[in-house]
Amino acid sequence: MTTPQSLRARSEAEASRLPPLLARAEHLAGTVLLGDHGRRRAGLGDDFWQYRPVRQGDSKRMIDHRRSARGDQQFVREREWQIAQSVMMWIDQGASMRFASRDDLSTKIDRARVLGLATAILLVRGGERVGLTGTTLPPRRGNAQIMRLATSFSTDQPEDYSPPEHRAMIPHARAVFISDFLGDMADVELALTKAADRGVRGVLLQVLDPIEELFPFQGRTIFESVGGTLSHETLKASDLRERYLARLEERKAHLRRLTRATGWHLGLHHTGDSAQSALLWLYRALDGSAK
Amino acid sequence: MTILGIGFAAPWLLAALAALPVLWLILRAVPPAPIRRRFPGVALLLGLRDDESVSDRTPWWLLLLRMLAVAAVIVGLAGPVLNPQDDRAGSGPLLVLIDGSWAGATRWPAKMDLLDAQLADAGRAGRPVAISILSRGEPPVFQTAEAWRSRLPGLNPAPWQPGPDQIARMIEAIEGEPRFDTHWFSDGLDHDGRNDLLSALETRGAVRVFQTGGAVQGLLPARFEDGAIALTVRRSAGGAARDVAIVAQGRDPAGTERALAVATAAFAADSDTAAAEMVLPAELRARITRFEIQGERSAGATTLTDDSLRRREVALIAGREDREGLELLSPLHYLEQALAPTADLLDGAILDILPANPDVMILADVATLAAAEQAALTEWIENGGMLLRFAGPRLAASDVSRDAEDPLMPVRLRAGGRSVGGAMSWGEPKALAPFADGTPFFGLAVPEDVTVTAQVMAQPDPTLADRVIAALSDGTPLVTRKAIGQGQVVLFHVTANAEWSSLPLSGLFVEMLERLAVSSALRAPSAGDLAGTTWRPIAVLDGYGTVVDAANLPGVDGPRLAEAPVGPDLLPGVYQSDDRRLARNVLGSDATLAPALWPARIPVEGLTLRAEVPLGGLLLSLAVALLLADVIASLALSGRLGSARRMAAALVAVTLLGVAHAPPAAAQSDDDTLARAATAEVVLAHVLTGDADLDALARAGLTGLSETLFFRTSVEPEDPIGVDLELDELAFFPVLYWPITPEQPIPSDIAYGKLNAYLRSGGMILFDTRDADISGFGTASANGRKLQRLAAPLDIPPLEPLPEDHVLTRTFYLLQDFPGRHNSRDIWVEAAPPDAEQIEGMPFRNLNDGVTPIVVGGNDWAAAWAVDDNGRPLLPVGRGFSGERQRELAYRFGVNLVMHVLTGNYKSDQVHVPALLDRLGQ
Repeated sequence: MTTPQSLRARSEAEASRLPPLLARAEHLAGTVLLGDHGRRRAGLGDDFWQYRPVRQGDSKRMIDHRRSARGDQQFVREREWQIAQSVMMWIDQGASMRFASRDDLSTKIDRARVLGLATAILLVRGGERVGLTGTTLPPRRGNAQIMRLATSFSTDQPEDYSPPEHRAMIPHARAVFISDFLGDMADVELALTKAADRGVRGVLLQVLDPIEELFPFQGRTIFESVGGTLSHETLKASDLRERYLARLEERKAHLRRLTRATGWHLGLHHTGDSAQSALLWLYRALDGSAK
Repeated sequence: MTILGIGFAAPWLLAALAALPVLWLILRAVPPAPIRRRFPGVALLLGLRDDESVSDRTPWWLLLLRMLAVAAVIVGLAGPVLNPQDDRAGSGPLLVLIDGSWAGATRWPAKMDLLDAQLADAGRAGRPVAISILSRGEPPVFQTAEAWRSRLPGLNPAPWQPGPDQIARMIEAIEGEPRFDTHWFSDGLDHDGRNDLLSALETRGAVRVFQTGGAVQGLLPARFEDGAIALTVRRSAGGAARDVAIVAQGRDPAGTERALAVATAAFAADSDTAAAEMVLPAELRARITRFEIQGERSAGATTLTDDSLRRREVALIAGREDREGLELLSPLHYLEQALAPTADLLDGAILDILPANPDVMILADVATLAAAEQAALTEWIENGGMLLRFAGPRLAASDVSRDAEDPLMPVRLRAGGRSVGGAMSWGEPKALAPFADGTPFFGLAVPEDVTVTAQVMAQPDPTLADRVIAALSDGTPLVTRKAIGQGQVVLFHVTANAEWSSLPLSGLFVEMLERLAVSSALRAPSAGDLAGTTWRPIAVLDGYGTVVDAANLPGVDGPRLAEAPVGPDLLPGVYQSDDRRLARNVLGSDATLAPALWPARIPVEGLTLRAEVPLGGLLLSLAVALLLADVIASLALSGRLGSARRMAAALVAVTLLGVAHAPPAAAQSDDDTLARAATAEVVLAHVLTGDADLDALARAGLTGLSETLFFRTSVEPEDPIGVDLELDELAFFPVLYWPITPEQPIPSDIAYGKLNAYLRSGGMILFDTRDADISGFGTASANGRKLQRLAAPLDIPPLEPLPEDHVLTRTFYLLQDFPGRHNSRDIWVEAAPPDAEQIEGMPFRNLNDGVTPIVVGGNDWAAAWAVDDNGRPLLPVGRGFSGERQRELAYRFGVNLVMHVLTGNYKSDQVHVPALLDRLGQ
């Protein structure tokens, strides 16, 4: 199910429904490389921007003689200033993601991989460079990178709640974190503050199973984490419901506070809902129009 | 042990019920088993504490359910029995004595049920049992109860009461037996010797009597009084007033046994007799064979009828219409007096009376008869009429039967007759001689004072001695008789009045008329009346009152029939002697029914049966059902019912799938559908071989041929039909295409019958062995051998290879080759008659009329004809253009074949065209 090929095929299918995604680049920095993003201003780039009359200080080499030969005035050919944005992705591969409450629902990790790779495909089609956080897969362009992303998305991690990778963040890049964020919040906080320090902005997408929002259990129950490391026994599961939901709400509020402080976007997606809506939200969030 | 009317086989087990409260506490204390759930959100749960330390308790109703299940198991294992019947338990041998008379027949099934239950008890107790039916006088034989149970259906009541013989035999039989208890199934009627038998039985052991409380009802013989049938019902014990319906059974004019009339007899309270009357027309009355009490089913409630109900019609005709004369001198006066009480008298001319078909016609001193009268009388006698003639002055004076015997006279008569003992003659008036053995009057006493003073004399003839049935003391005939056809002529040689003899004045005259069946007796005949007669049983009653054929039962002497009680030797029934019929019923006309009364020391029980009902199985089933409910409830409570629900859904789905996959009702076998489809238009048909591929190919081939016919000819067939030889009617199809496979089954004989009928009625079968590519026809291939086996039972004429001038070569296209997918010339058809010759100048022989019933070949035509749904050829034929040409020729062969079937030898008749044209003069 989660072979790289099948994952890519499904992600392509999701991505094909949206136009190429152009990430917003707000800051230019030394890391900015030439890319396809026209900056609506003259600068370094491949595409023609405008002809302007020669001004003082322009070297003779800059004169476009083909245009200037038509008349008496001399023109300089300006090109549009183009950059490519780097997007770094982190998808939670922990065991807690490998959970689906019903047979007809996909597991959270499956949904997260599809969404992540679809976003990556859209970004690559838009000419962005996409990679993983950390050092394993730096941002690159092209279809081969999609395949590499799909391969690395398909590796499960044994631990129950894996912490976000926050090393080797490229400054002023964009980042996409997809997880259920049920693990330790300190790791998430650390990753986000570190990213904010480096000027990285991005999107947090929380993927939850519907049953995790409902907690419809009762009777004597032993709850176990998917990896089997944690367990909790209760004699009356129905009594725990209110307190569990309160804790879940508190967790979401914490995430909201963090993202507000760091300027990230926070999204919530349930595996019972359509993946398309989540992808659309990601698209708009990365495009900058979803504030 | 019995609690609340329920007995327990193992009552100590009930002590386990005391453990139930303990179980309640235990079940209540133990929490339900935890469910292990995978839940990623467990990280959020860590550290949460339960508010209460007590877990969810098992709900009280679930506990109650379990308690009930356990209680049901305990009680069920304790062996509860409803209506336990241990009070009759005893030990030692048991004699079951059944009265077994007709009186118990109505309630015989209840008796047998009770007896069966008692035998079951005795079998469980291991008691040897003897069953003895008192009325049959069988000595008791002790056997196991099971052996007797198997014989219960064979026990039947007898149509008589136990008599002294049987009781004496029973008392004698039980003398030698060891001690035993007795269960006496009484019929409720008293009978002689009952008390003797009771005391004899009491010396052997305890006696217990089973007897219904209801009264026994009996129907006395029907009497005919004052123009009505009088019926009397008796009952053994007075009681409440009640109405009893009496049904007259008989044959209706169509010969069917049915109820002809119903009368109601009303018992007054405390009365044991009720009477009813039936007024019926004579015709209907004569049809009645028996009366029954409705609702009773015993021989005593049935009474058979005999001649006493059947009033004969007697026509009286006198030679002298002497209306002005003295009454006592009328020749018919004494006859009328004798017959009027018992017979219906007819008066009129002979020819007017005969159509009414009287039983007897009496001619008193009638000498000559007109020719028409004589012929009509003769015919009537031959059909069973009885002509009774009396002599008189006219007969004596006439020449009737003088020289030659008159057809309607038993003897020849001398002229004049004679008179003895008169004033002008010697001798005394003659007395009658005793009636000889063998005559109908044998046994009647001859009174001394009956004398004859004049008579007509019979001529001595060789036959005279046989015809005399009564004579005078001097040996001269007094009554002579002659049989004519089925009837007879009887001549009294004296007058019917007292002129010639004192016979008509005596009682003997009436008895003689009775014996001659001219009249029937009003009262039951006494032994003396029947002396000297032998009666043959016609139909007898069994104990239930059913009339059964007497078959080979021996005849009975008259006196015994009149007076002996019914018993094993004298069954109630209808007896016949000569023309007379006498019914002997179970109850005499003065019978009374006395109830059986038992001494107070004898326990008497009714026949109601309270069957034991073991409840253990029921309770254990209940326990299982409760436990099942507990399983479901537990699953529901612990939230695991979801998967169970899914399983149930799957189960239902599988079941539905099974139903959906059940073979569809054989639509093909619906004859009407097939007939409508096959007869709306011309339809080509192929025989279903059981090979699906081949059948599909044959269908496709015939589809292609049908389309070709549709486009090229005026034959416009519908879609072809596959025919199952075993099920479908073949007559609708002009031609059957029968591809041969070695595997196809041989049709049944019925199917071959249908095939032969089909061939004889003008059908055609095209056999295709489909092997012309590998073999010469029919020689070496498996298909050829199969064809030989298939066709062996068929009615097939001699065959020959298709001749060049066969009509098949020119019914539509001119053809000489008949290829299919293979191109062989081996096509066989019905042989031409040996006298068919080529006529000079004619292109064709004048060949056999009609259509060849079969065509045999191996060219696999269907494969060449076959098209798919789009009309494209299904299989390749040959190569290239020549192959397509071969396919075209195959289609042309098919067209020719269908044309040949549909038009017969129409094209063959063209052989005459030159002659016709010649005759028309060009």
